[in-house]
Formats: sequence, C-alpha cells, structure tokens
Amino acid sequence: MKPFDIVIVGGGGAGLYAAMEAMKTNPALNIAVLSKVYPNRSHTSAAQGGANAALANKAKDDTVEMHIFDTIKGSDYLADQDAVDVLCSEAPKIIRELENIGTPWSRLEDNTIAQRPFGGAGRPRCCYCSDKTGHTILQTLYEQCLKKGVQFFNEYFALNLSVSGSRSNGLIAMNMKSGKVEAFPAKTVIFATGGYAKMYWNRSSNAAGNTGDGQAIAYRAGIPMKDMEFVQFHPTGLRKSGLLVTEGARGEGGYLLNKDGERFMARYAPEKMELGPRDLVSRSLETEILEGRGFDSPAGKYLHLDLTHLGADLIKSRLPQIREMSMNFEGVDPIEEPIPVRPTAHYSMGGIDTDNQTRTVMDGIYAAGECGCVSVHGANRLGGNSLLDILVFGRIAGRTAAEEAGKFTPGTISEAEIAGQWDEIRSGMHASGHYERYGELREELGQTLALNVGIFREASLLKKGIADIAELKERAKKLRIFDTSDVFNTNLMQVLELKNMLDLAETVAAGAHARQESRGSHTRIDFPVRDDANWHKHTLATQVKGKVTLGEKPVTMGRYELQERTY
Amino acid sequence: MTVPTVQHTEGKKDVTFRVFRFNPQVDSKPYFDDYTIPVEKGITVLRSLNYIKEHIDGSVSFRAFCQAGICGSCGMRVNGLSQLACTTQVWDVLAKSREPGIIKVEPLRNLPLIKDLIVDMDPLVDKMKHYSNWVDSTMPEAEMGKKEFLISEAEFLRYDKATDCILCASCVSECSILRANKDYVSPAVLLKSYRMSVDSRDSLHEQRLAELVKDHGVWDCTHCYRCQESCVKSIPIMDAIHGIREDAIESRGMKDTSGSKHAEAFMIDIEKKGKLVEATLPIRTNGVIWTLQNLLPMAVKMIMKRRTPPPPPLVKSAKGIKIFREMFREMTEHVKQDHKSHKN
Repeated sequence: MKPFDIVIVGGGGAGLYAAMEAMKTNPALNIAVLSKVYPNRSHTSAAQGGANAALANKAKDDTVEMHIFDTIKGSDYLADQDAVDVLCSEAPKIIRELENIGTPWSRLEDNTIAQRPFGGAGRPRCCYCSDKTGHTILQTLYEQCLKKGVQFFNEYFALNLSVSGSRSNGLIAMNMKSGKVEAFPAKTVIFATGGYAKMYWNRSSNAAGNTGDGQAIAYRAGIPMKDMEFVQFHPTGLRKSGLLVTEGARGEGGYLLNKDGERFMARYAPEKMELGPRDLVSRSLETEILEGRGFDSPAGKYLHLDLTHLGADLIKSRLPQIREMSMNFEGVDPIEEPIPVRPTAHYSMGGIDTDNQTRTVMDGIYAAGECGCVSVHGANRLGGNSLLDILVFGRIAGRTAAEEAGKFTPGTISEAEIAGQWDEIRSGMHASGHYERYGELREELGQTLALNVGIFREASLLKKGIADIAELKERAKKLRIFDTSDVFNTNLMQVLELKNMLDLAETVAAGAHARQESRGSHTRIDFPVRDDANWHKHTLATQVKGKVTLGEKPVTMGRYELQERTY
Repeated sequence: MTVPTVQHTEGKKDVTFRVFRFNPQVDSKPYFDDYTIPVEKGITVLRSLNYIKEHIDGSVSFRAFCQAGICGSCGMRVNGLSQLACTTQVWDVLAKSREPGIIKVEPLRNLPLIKDLIVDMDPLVDKMKHYSNWVDSTMPEAEMGKKEFLISEAEFLRYDKATDCILCASCVSECSILRANKDYVSPAVLLKSYRMSVDSRDSLHEQRLAELVKDHGVWDCTHCYRCQESCVKSIPIMDAIHGIREDAIESRGMKDTSGSKHAEAFMIDIEKKGKLVEATLPIRTNGVIWTLQNLLPMAVKMIMKRRTPPPPPLVKSAKGIKIFREMFREMTEHVKQDHKSHKN
C-alpha cells in the first residue's frame, strides 16, 4: 500500500484546519483525516465563548502586544514567549480568514466582527458568534473540507503508531463500522485529538470522548508529554454530569450558597464575591465541600448556585441556555430551585511536547490544539485562547507536515503487527475467571483523580493517587468486553479509551507530585507559593520501559520578565 | 432483565426500556430487549442507556459524545419521536407514554441501519456535498486573511438561526417524503442550502439553486412540518424551504420547473376562486403530454368510479371571495416587501 503523505488523527478545529492548509500548501498530496466521530460532532462545537484576536474592532487601542502580555501573565509565566508571539500575531489574520470562508460571526454596528470582554484580557478582543462560536467554526471548517474533497475516514478509532526504532511507519486504527484493524502507512502523522480532562469523568465538563487518545498513543510510542499536571477547573459544573454552567450566571447576579444558606464567597473574596477569578472561586467551592459545608447526594457533595432571586423574566431572557441545561441535566428549574454545582475539570493545558512548528521529537509526527503543548497556555489558559490555539497551530501543523512529508520514507506496517493489535484489543472478550467492569474502573479513576489529583494537591494525597492509578492499571488488564461482535463495538471502544486515560493519568499525577510549588491551576497545599528559582520550567513525562519517567525543559523567555500574578 | 439489587428510595420509578436490537453479524431481523431499571427525576434517556450498558448489557450499542445537547450524536426515536437522548427527560417521556412505565427506544428512520440504535450518516453527508452545502467565497484565496467582509447584523440574523443546526438528523428521521423517496434532498440539507444562499459572501447561489429545483429537490416537500416540529434546536426549517422556493420563483425566474409551475397554479386558483381547480392542475404543472402519458389511465379509472373533480367552469368561487382577495393581495405585498428588504 502506497503511504499517505499526511494522516491527520482527529477532526475537530485543529485537525480540519490542518487538512485545509495542507491541501492548500500542496494539492498533490494524499491526505487522510481519521476521526472516531463524524467531524462535525467534535468537541470544538462545545466552545461557547469565542476566540481572541486583537482586531481592534471594539477597542480601537487594542494591540497584538497587549494580547501577548495578557496571555503570558495568564499562564503564570510558564508559557513560552516565542510561541505566544506566534499565537497572538497570527490571530487577526486567521479570524479574518475564517470570516472570509463563511464563519457567521456576530457583528458590531459598523458591520465588522463583534468582540466582547473576557476574563484576564485587558481589552474586549474575544470574537464570537452568539454563544455557539465553536460550533459555527467547526461547521464552517467541515463544510470547507467537504468542498475541497478532503478524504475522511469517519468513525475510525486510532490504536497505535507503528514504530521501527525511532521512526514512525504510520498509524494503526480500527474501523468502527467493520471492526477491522487497518494500517495507514504514512510519511507524516498529525495528532489533533483534543484534551484529556475527561479522565475526571463526571467531574469534567468535557465530552465523553475527550479521553486523550492522541496523547496516549504518542506516550506509548516514547514521545514526551509536557506539563501534564496542569488541568483547569471551572467553578460551576453541574453536580451529576459535570457539564458547565457558564460564568454568565454569576455575572447576572447569581449567589453561591453552602448548606447553611451562607454566601460563602464573602470569606474568600469579600469584594468580588461570586465574581472572583476562576481558580480562586473553584478553590473556595472545594474548601466548602472539604470542610463539610456542602450538600450530600448519591452523586456526590455539592453546593448551590442560586438564581431564584433574579426572577423568572431575567432568567428567561438572559440565561435561557442555563435554564434549559439545569432542567435537562439536573431536573431543576432555576426559577424555582437553586442549581446543584461543584467545580469541574474543564481543560488540559498539558499535552504532547512540540516546538513552535508543532513538531514532536519523533520525525514526521506533529501535534496541534489541546492535544499538543507548544506551550501557549502555560499553567493556566485564558478564556478565548483555546479556539485560537486550535486554529493557529492546526494551520501550522498542516503547512509544516505538507512541506516536510517529502523528507520521510516510512517502513512497512506488517500483517503480523496488524494481527497482533487485533488480538490485543480483543483479549478482554474471552476473559475467564475474575474480571473487571469498565464502568466501575472508570468511576474509580474519576474519583481518585478528583480527590487526590484535583484542585487541592498535597504530597500524601498525590502518593495515594499514584498508587490508585497503578492499581487501576493492573486491574484494567482484566477488563471484560461484553460485546463480542465486530460491527460498531462501542463497548470495546470504551475500554480502549479508559486504557488511554489510565496511561495519561499516570503522567498527570506524577507531574503534580514532582512539582513542589503552586502555579496557575496547580495548587499544592504543602507548597502554597510559586517557586521560580526551582520550578520555572516545563515538566516532561516520557514512558520508558512501561514506566513514567520525568524530565524537564526550560521556559523560553522574551520581552517579559517574571512578575507576581495579581489581578 | 431486571437489576438484581433494586434499592427503592423515594422519588424513583421502575422504568422498562424497550430497546431496538439488531446486530447484522448474527441477527436476520431486528427484535426488542426489555431492561427495567430504577430512574429518579432529572435523569435523561441517554444516562439510562449508559446505565444499562454499564450494569446490565454491555452489548447495547448507541452513539453518544458530548452528552450535553451540542454535538448531535445521540439522535434516536424515543416512544416514536426522533430526538436527542441526552436532552430527553425520562420522567417527561413517561408522563406521555401510552404504555405505562415503558419507554421504547429505536434508531432514527430514513438512514441505513448499522447496529441497534446506530444508523449510517454517510447518505446525509453525501447530500451535503451534492448540494454544495458550503460558502464558496467571492474572495480569491490569495486575498484571504487581509480584510473582513463588512456584514450587517441584519444579514447575520438571516442565517443565525439556521447555523444552530447540529445535524442530529431528527428531521431526516421524521421527514415524510424521505420515507417514500430516499433520494429526496432532506430537510437538514435544505436548511443548510438556504443558509448558504442568503450569505452575501457566497458565489454559488445560482448553481446550488439549479440543483435544488431538479427532481428530489426543494419542490418535493409537501409541507407536513414534521421536520420543524421535531427540530431539537427549534429551527424554523419550513421558513428555509419556503425561502428557497420563493428565491427560485421570484428572483431567479426558474418558472420552467414543474414545482414552481405547480405553486404558481395554486396561487392563480386561490386568488381567482379561493379554491383549487383540480382537474387542470396536472396539465398546468407538467404539461399536456406528460399528463396524457402518466395520468390518463388514472383519469379513466376516476371517471369509471365517478371520482373526477368538477371541470373548471363548474368550480364556483368560494364564499367571501372578495374579502379573501383583499387579504391575498395584502399578503403578496408583504412577501414582496420582505424580499426587497432582504436584498438591501
């Protein structure tokens, strides 16, 4: 089989932009996009807020330079300054390009793209389409890819890279519709599979499929992961599902209450109250729960987000989506009752270590978007920068892979290797004797992560987390697959996803244990301050002989010196 | 099958999910499996299916991804109605259930079945491609990224609602035309076509429209409104369909298609008499030759059974025709005004 020039794994914003750009760079290339869902289902669609770009449509004095500074400060100085330069400088061009190909942006009175204020940004520079920005960007990119005739392999689940020595031969994936394991020999592979925050399961706002498949594949192939310990928590997730109740609810005047009916934020942020910064509010909710002032339920402990005093009219007119979500997912109408909430894992800053051109350490392997870590978000991502990240670095990945594909000659992927993968993934179908259930292990993983590798971290908790994950990995070898059929085996896919999450959970916990400081989203009770002397550096996690091995990488500095991060 | 350890706390109901099952590898035809589980208030159909898959039968197959009503993966029929399993409350469905305590879950209709609740979405994607469901920008590729198109909020609002579509295919499943003709363009694709055609950045209006007025296209819709009623995002899909038709007749002058002639004949009759002159409708729609070739045998049969519609001279004007004509003129005027304001 003739190798593909580029195989793109993932059909969200980063993957689709990469495909488009690669075709533009060299139309003669043979490009494939693999996605485990139809691309228009990808999690990019869930991003509501918007994408930052210093277009200066709204605030005439906004500049790329200010965007750069806000991003670096927001990252708690862990972002690489040259990478942030690329992100913010490319932003206006890429937003206009998206506009030029049909993205339906909301508009200002002078008919330019609308922009609004967002957390941590000095100017209103977040470009949006109502509250469905990610959805409309994803639709536009998918439409354009259909127009260009991009070759899609929809509902293919990526299994592993085929590696000879230090070189990749391409990708091995399972066709969900047939159940067959197929080889995709490729000169280059771009991973764009999104984040891994779903490992916190029902304590995560992510889609069920955000299981870090791309990172796990790269990790198993010996490619280092960077800054995996940095996971952003959002203060108000719904109790049962972890789904997000946006900041708007508090912006409109909603109260956070504990079981004594107390507005507890008075204790943590007496001035800003419910509108304090995201990480502070998350920590406050968590403290209330830990100190026993939360409500109890079979689905776990929680607090109240009370909107009842705002009145039916305001809730219906300004917060219709939040009302709909509360009713759909908690069975609670916020006009009549408070919404049960607790902090929820929302975004993974860490990912596959790449350079500014999205290259990994392995020849011909690239990563972009939430899947990769350039790093532009450092220890904490600003709202409106994640959509921007997938667009800018998705495009760079497409262009770089297209330009470099000619340099690589992949080896062959043998029939034996494909057969080996087939046997391995299906081994759980004929488990005898004692076996483990997928749902239980996944639940336990989410629990231990939320408890021990969650918002508040501490040496003994992290040790417990690491031990739990190791035990779960062992038990996962006995995972039973109850569906023994070939056609569309979602049970098998769930088990494979869980194994991917377990591989990555190990790196998150190890990184969190090693990093003896508090920076951005990473809060150590036993090391409560930022320690620039010892920890102003990236963490690298590499799998060596099946075990996680930690290393480090310096942060690239530039115009901005280290400063205390205050707002 | 029942869960062995049912713990009944207050506010829980035993619910039987009657799930459509079909595995093409072993089953010659579909069947239903019953799963009875306790469900409390606030639980969705998708969460119930997840529970069944994790605790009772791991082989029950369905798609689910965002689980928050955004991605459109979990479209299925719940008690006969196509909707998203993730935003459908079990207790709400129970309240309307014909068989107490039972919820029937089936795959979407009008798309090929793959397994259990999973259908093949490829035909829908193929139609999106066939009808060019994308903006073909008037801006040359080399110029892109340099400057914005200036677009009014009014234009944005024209396609804003249509861009809510998440391609869940509930409308596809409910469409009465698709049940008879799998080649029919389908509501979602009409909606997207409309969205592209009212976008001033797009250069494909004419080509797309030329395709839409062909067989299996926009004129095949019979206004049953089921697409609109089942839309999980409450998008007025019929407005889009009417929009394409008006576009075809008014601004594009495509009066040579049978669909537009049919609509025009309706308009003339309604304006003149307040009711249809059915006897000559086929001739006015498809011409004398087509009518003789295709409908003559049926006409003969109708005459034999004395079921023929009255000949045109015998069709009397409806009661209150004068007031009606006034209203008709007013409406026509409104539509014209609408068109004008859209173009500006």
